[in-house]
Amino acid sequence: MACKVRLLLCCAVTVSVLAGCGTAPGAEDLPEVVDFNFHIRPILSNSCFVCHGPDVSTREADLRLDDRSYATARRKGGARAIVPGNPRRSLLIQRISAKVVDQRMPPATTNKVLTPREVALLRRWVRQGAPYKEHWAFIAPTMPEVPEGAGAIDYFVEDRLARAGLSPAPEAAPEALLRRASYVLTGLPPEPELVQTFLEDPGPATYERIVDTLLASPHFGERWARHWMDLVRYAESKGHEFDFTVQGAWRYRDYLIRAFNADVPYDRFLKEHLAGDLLPSRRTHAELGYDESPVATAYFTFGEGKHSPVDTRIDEAERIDNIIDVTTKTFQGLTVACARCHDHKFDPIPTTDYYSLYGIVESARFTPRPLLTARYRVRADSVAEEFLSLRQQLGDQWRRVATRTPVVVASATTTPRPSVAWHWADSTGEALMLGDFRMGSYDGWYAEGPAFEGGPHAFAPVYDGERVDRIAAGVVSSRARLPGVPGALRSPGFTIDHDSIMVMAAGRKAVIRIVLNSFQLIRAPIHGGLDREISTSELTTYVFDVAMWKGTKAYVELLAGTYDKQQYVTEQHAFRLADSSYFEVAAVVAYDGQRPTLAISPTGEAAPLADAVTRWQRGSAGPVEVRAINDALRQGRLPRLARGAAALNQIRLGEPPFYIGMTDGDTVRSGVFFRGNAKMEEETPVPHRFFTTLDPHLLPFTESASGRLDLARAMASADNPLTARVMVNRLWHHTFGRGIVATVDNFGAQGALPTHPELLDYLALRFVEQGWSVKRLLKEMVLSRTFRRVTRMPDGVADVDPQNLLLSHYPIRRLEAEAIRDGILAVSQRLNRTMYGEPVPVHLTEFMKGRGRPQASGPLDGEARRSVYIAVRRNFLAPMMLAFDKPIPFSTFGNRNSSNVPAQSLTLLNDPFVAGEAEAWGQALVEMPHPTIEARIEHIFLRAMSRAPTHEEVEHGRNYLKSSARESGIPAGEILRAPSLWAAYCHAVFNLKEFIYLI
Amino acid sequence: MTRREMLALCRNGFGGVALMGLLGSAPFGRRLRADPPAPLHPRAPHRVPKARSVIFLYMDGGVSQVDSFDPKPRLAREHGEDPHLKFAVDATQFNSIGKILKSPWDFRRYGECGMEVSDLFPHIGSCADDLAVIRSMVADFPEHTNANYFLHTGHGLQGRPSMGSWITYGLGSDNQDLPGYVVLDGGLIPPGGLDNFNSGFLPASYQGSIFRAGDVPLANIDPLEPTTELQQRKLNLINQTDETLLGRLGQAGQIESAIANYELASRMQTSVPELTNLATESAATRRLYGMDSDDTYTRGYGAQCLLARRLVERGVRFVELTCPRVQADRWDQHSRLIDGHTRNAHAVDQPIAGLLQDLKARGMFEDTLVVWAGEFGRTPFAQGTDGRDHNPSAFSIWLAGAGIRGGTTYGATDEYGYRAVENVTTIHDLHATMLHLLGMEHERLTYRFSGRDIRLTDVGGRVIDAILT
Repeated sequence: MACKVRLLLCCAVTVSVLAGCGTAPGAEDLPEVVDFNFHIRPILSNSCFVCHGPDVSTREADLRLDDRSYATARRKGGARAIVPGNPRRSLLIQRISAKVVDQRMPPATTNKVLTPREVALLRRWVRQGAPYKEHWAFIAPTMPEVPEGAGAIDYFVEDRLARAGLSPAPEAAPEALLRRASYVLTGLPPEPELVQTFLEDPGPATYERIVDTLLASPHFGERWARHWMDLVRYAESKGHEFDFTVQGAWRYRDYLIRAFNADVPYDRFLKEHLAGDLLPSRRTHAELGYDESPVATAYFTFGEGKHSPVDTRIDEAERIDNIIDVTTKTFQGLTVACARCHDHKFDPIPTTDYYSLYGIVESARFTPRPLLTARYRVRADSVAEEFLSLRQQLGDQWRRVATRTPVVVASATTTPRPSVAWHWADSTGEALMLGDFRMGSYDGWYAEGPAFEGGPHAFAPVYDGERVDRIAAGVVSSRARLPGVPGALRSPGFTIDHDSIMVMAAGRKAVIRIVLNSFQLIRAPIHGGLDREISTSELTTYVFDVAMWKGTKAYVELLAGTYDKQQYVTEQHAFRLADSSYFEVAAVVAYDGQRPTLAISPTGEAAPLADAVTRWQRGSAGPVEVRAINDALRQGRLPRLARGAAALNQIRLGEPPFYIGMTDGDTVRSGVFFRGNAKMEEETPVPHRFFTTLDPHLLPFTESASGRLDLARAMASADNPLTARVMVNRLWHHTFGRGIVATVDNFGAQGALPTHPELLDYLALRFVEQGWSVKRLLKEMVLSRTFRRVTRMPDGVADVDPQNLLLSHYPIRRLEAEAIRDGILAVSQRLNRTMYGEPVPVHLTEFMKGRGRPQASGPLDGEARRSVYIAVRRNFLAPMMLAFDKPIPFSTFGNRNSSNVPAQSLTLLNDPFVAGEAEAWGQALVEMPHPTIEARIEHIFLRAMSRAPTHEEVEHGRNYLKSSARESGIPAGEILRAPSLWAAYCHAVFNLKEFIYLI
Repeated sequence: MTRREMLALCRNGFGGVALMGLLGSAPFGRRLRADPPAPLHPRAPHRVPKARSVIFLYMDGGVSQVDSFDPKPRLAREHGEDPHLKFAVDATQFNSIGKILKSPWDFRRYGECGMEVSDLFPHIGSCADDLAVIRSMVADFPEHTNANYFLHTGHGLQGRPSMGSWITYGLGSDNQDLPGYVVLDGGLIPPGGLDNFNSGFLPASYQGSIFRAGDVPLANIDPLEPTTELQQRKLNLINQTDETLLGRLGQAGQIESAIANYELASRMQTSVPELTNLATESAATRRLYGMDSDDTYTRGYGAQCLLARRLVERGVRFVELTCPRVQADRWDQHSRLIDGHTRNAHAVDQPIAGLLQDLKARGMFEDTLVVWAGEFGRTPFAQGTDGRDHNPSAFSIWLAGAGIRGGTTYGATDEYGYRAVENVTTIHDLHATMLHLLGMEHERLTYRFSGRDIRLTDVGGRVIDAILT
């Protein structure tokens, strides 16, 4: 069966390719067997589905053609749109071929016209019984047969060529091949030594060795990270009005480079993106030992970030929409964001799929995440140990003292404990306790970070020098051991329905934030009142006026550390943790009118001291016991000496760097928004689950509160028909300049059909079989004959396959913006190969203006670093990059434009960066001992084009240099020593088409 | 004639070809075989157009409608009263809602139509019979950035193509030596940055080219080489080498296009300085644009307006002017309304009137569409005591020139000028109307991205027939 399907697909593609050549379609051009996926769905999708497709909101005449049972059903009046086997009786065929314009479908108002060929195809399809098929991309791939000994890629490509009557082009010259492989794999030209090596022995073994070298090069990761960054709209600032910094975005860039270099299995890589913070096993940074996995979740944060939105609910909806858009395109090749306002018009994606994802993203929360090195963790653990043992000693000491008292106490576990009561006064009786930490528990709040690991660590001793001052009463504290330890405490979500929120807290360099609709950029003018820095050593009531936010979804957040509020500097709104940072919180209350009073110490019966001390030492003490201990301390009934406390308290762990990543909050399920309007949410919540079409059972997600972990597993599953196909197609796209599915981000009905469906399936299954290894699959592609062909179009191809869909030859490709700039630096031997780290500030020209402009311009040459390390500030994108089609980071861009605009020529001709590099190269050249002009030109060509110049090229160069010398009054004998001449010549070389194209 | 034949004919290579371009022979860049035509090659519109070019005068920050083109006597009567007692007040950006604030400017009637214009714009007022004022504009967003993207791209978020990009994508340009879409940077780049002028998912060919006032109007337009001969020699070397490459490759449309692109770039190096050399204009013309004003910002904006005319004269399709950086920020007067609006108005009033008059005098008014608009309006009540906050629910814009019925006032706001109530007009309507005048149906100007045929007017837009001739 599978075999039959395959055959069918192949002949389908032959026909579509041949049909592209422009001859009028007659019946003889029609395929024997019409295939729904390859012939019919594209017609229906393009011309019919908007009114007769899955979306009920725009459906006309109650007719849907995307589903066979509807399309063949008897309609009012008895007729049927499709009568399988009988085109004449099918309304569909009658209407599309109607003579009378008013009767004809599609209507003239749609500006759509079916071609005669399309009508003929539909007619034949109906005659053949109008068989429907699931969209090809949703059918699991099957492993096609490959003849023994044949390379699968070449087998499929050449088989297709043969059936189209075409022969493939011959193999490219070794120089061209090497340059191609080097740029494709590393984004840099090959070193001349490598060219020499290959030229000396251009055999397949050498080539394979060189490919291995390139794959192992650290530059490989830089190249492929940049490709990936196009998918996740990577940017280091939020754009909008003031271009706020996305904190630590570059950590994600470095994560990518390391991940591609380490060939992290793609399924793992995918899971880390969606749920790196939730995975049971973590990957750690090889040298520094910090958690790598959660860094990937930073991709959630790269969207545009609004400064001061008047409506945070709408802002959140836009933010989540962007995340859904990017996530589904990147990992699944699906445009799920189209289902925001209505069911998808072309694909089987109902709005409920969108709002299931919406709820999943809405459940996740943004959090500043510290990068804690292995050293930090070891030290933190040992300090914790020491505090624990100090606490143990205190307990032992106190128990000795307490049990010496005459009252004999029964076993602490059997004594009934005094009940806890608190003094409480509230004028309205409507106050609501949002969080009560006086019992030393989290009270259902979410605690995170090393400060709370193994926590809550309540009722910790507070030391003053070498003495115990008291036991911390009734709080959750981030400095149970030390200040300066990262920690966050967040409430469950709630809807604000009181005028005020009070937080009883103490601390230093810490912050309380009321987060509305997950809006993070809390600052004036609108949201200035929603965060407060904590700066009191005693518990203090911090009051927030939230009257104007009633009805808004919110959570309360306490963070050890603060957000920088400085205006108009590059690192604005960065989160920082000082080594003195900590917070303690006793209670959070929402109320109207007068502020309620709230006691920290419980009222009622005192606990017996010995009992209290025993319980405290066991970690089971409550506020009553702690009050007894504190009373005893105050009255001198317990010793205060705590040897070693002062030294321990002096320890500082250092201030770790932060990036913004994701964490889980509570499960939020969203209702469908009527017409996508966040203000009109329908009541029925959509459960968290996978796409209807990929999981028809609609099993609800249960593994994680947000559902992110479940989503990650569903996407990374080997059974998912899209995941592997989408990724291998991206690899193919970057290797061959065009995807097997040309619309690399859209595998839906509106996307392109695969030119080589069997090859795509082969690659997808091979990818999974080889442990989702990107490098192994790329190696197979690059070693193929298909990759090694010349770019010259073989005779006869122009008429049959002018777009080279069948890959009879390797396509000529312009290099990407980054590869052009990096190539210039590499060739002029100025490339600074430093990897990783903070971005190099972007060079600002006079033309780059506007709010949020960085205070200082970066260096013209970007410190000669690779382009992937140059700052990507949304509102100040580098002009050279834009001119050469680097995409604006707003959505997934798997397929860059390759335009041809004067700004490109003007950049290469006149831009000071290009000129400067030429000058540097010219200077370096005159210091080299070339005996002749010819030898030097040869050297230049070898570096820039990875080949020797032709005789003609040398001649042109020599003439140019000589006449320029004459003009400038430089004697002919001095040419080799004249830097200006060589700078001008090198500049011309940068301007050669061969330099910016892969030939 | 193919490119190769042309080159063979010229013999003197690149320079000769470039020179021929300057002398006005057929433009270069025609393609061999399957290649598409050059991106900016003029294309036929859907129907006979009224307008050939557009000059978009962008009023950055949001001009107050009740202080410019939409007089509201009731504000004077109720000056100082609490707006909450009068009407429902929406949340505003700063939420510092003050009292009802009357306009500090008087209005007077102008022209035969008797249109009321405030004393902020006496010069523009004198052109009233040429203007169609729309008083009932609404925007979707109360923040600058979203509203700017919306005004420029028909969508509130970053990443969509700007209207100038859509228009050059649809029509190409009549001048192959200059970009088809030019932004004259008067000093202020609007919030949202250069993405307001970007081509989004359209090819980079349709990006706005930013021209600045000053010695180097366009990035990298100034030749690196001190003399034309030096550059010419280098260009010849490049061209010789590229031609041998072409010979080796056989059919390579892309490479041919890239070579042609150098020819355009080379021509631009000549045509741009010629274009920006305003010294060739008569003293009377310069005076007309206010270039003799005492106000340095009036002089600067006058030069930009004059440059706009020169661009349109040369067939450039779409020209946008951004505002000068006067000493009171953009039109965004959250406080000190009188000072800020006075300064901004003074900078642009005479130059704009001069532009309209000059276009008429030169017979260009009939096929040039002039649009004057900001991203939203301002509140009829004060922010604090002496400013006005953002108001997306009502603002005034005007159009003039090709196909526009002069002396028209269209739409109305409520008695406070707070909300548009009659003939409510959206940005999509404005775009649809602009495209209509250019001969394009806004529903047919589409580009497939993300599996959808996307339009400048998204899913809305309706041509405002009432303001058309």
